[in-house]
Amino acid sequence: MPRGDFLGSLEQIVMLAVMRLGADAYGMTVRREIEERTGREISIGAVYATLERLEAKGYVSSFTGEPTAERGGRAKRHFEIEAAGHQALNASQNALKNMSEGLSRRWKRA
Amino acid sequence: MSPSTLALSQRILERLMPPAQAEALLGDLLEERRLRLQAGSEVSVAGWYWRQLASSVPALLWASVRRGAWLITVVTAVASFIAAIGIQMLLQSVLSPMTTSKSVRAVVMILTFAAALAACGYVAASIRLGAARLLAFLVFAVTCAMLAISTRAPLWYEGSLLVVGPLATIAGATLSGWLRRVWL
Repeated sequence: MPRGDFLGSLEQIVMLAVMRLGADAYGMTVRREIEERTGREISIGAVYATLERLEAKGYVSSFTGEPTAERGGRAKRHFEIEAAGHQALNASQNALKNMSEGLSRRWKRA
Repeated sequence: MSPSTLALSQRILERLMPPAQAEALLGDLLEERRLRLQAGSEVSVAGWYWRQLASSVPALLWASVRRGAWLITVVTAVASFIAAIGIQMLLQSVLSPMTTSKSVRAVVMILTFAAALAACGYVAASIRLGAARLLAFLVFAVTCAMLAISTRAPLWYEGSLLVVGPLATIAGATLSGWLRRVWL
């Protein structure tokens, strides 16, 4: 498989967050989901930049929702995973799984 | 949140990403800010808001570079600068032989410099407003460097070049923006 098909760790985390959130995946919810699940602080700009990169690769797509009052009349930008995104995520997760297989004895877990 | 804070946030974000995306990102920030205000104080939430905005800048800046937006701006500004030098040299070569007076020639030089930069500032702003601003900065920086190297010119002439160059560029860009507003 070409090297470019593997996703970076942040790309995987963002895609998994989008997958978890389903129809409710937009900037704020993706950012909060990552913070809550990983304990890692992440900026909304980093989430958007990653999603833009994934969209350019054809792994996610976006559409604009309706403007809401709690957002100062601004619309949400919803994200969803495309078939190519599922494939890339599978390939990256499988690569990690294959690499870590059989290492349980040597792996010093915290 | 005050309207000026909101306007400043929007201005920062629109420099770094397309307007529709900037709107969505700002909406996300406002929505989360509202949620956080239910549990935290105004001061701590304001701190969170500005930390989010500030820590977003590097990632968005890099995304903007990848998008090529900056490259187009820089290329437009540099190309406009080169075109302005060409136009100025052409105008000067036509007009200068008409007089032998050194001071008249200096005035002609300043006027042709201004005309060329106003025209190129107009064109650069028509392509990208940021390119016209960068062009004005380039003109100022290059004029400073040229004057530092050659100190034989009179002070009034050096001062005029420094002021007239960037001002003419901004005037051309302003005219471009004004005409666009009138026509659209």
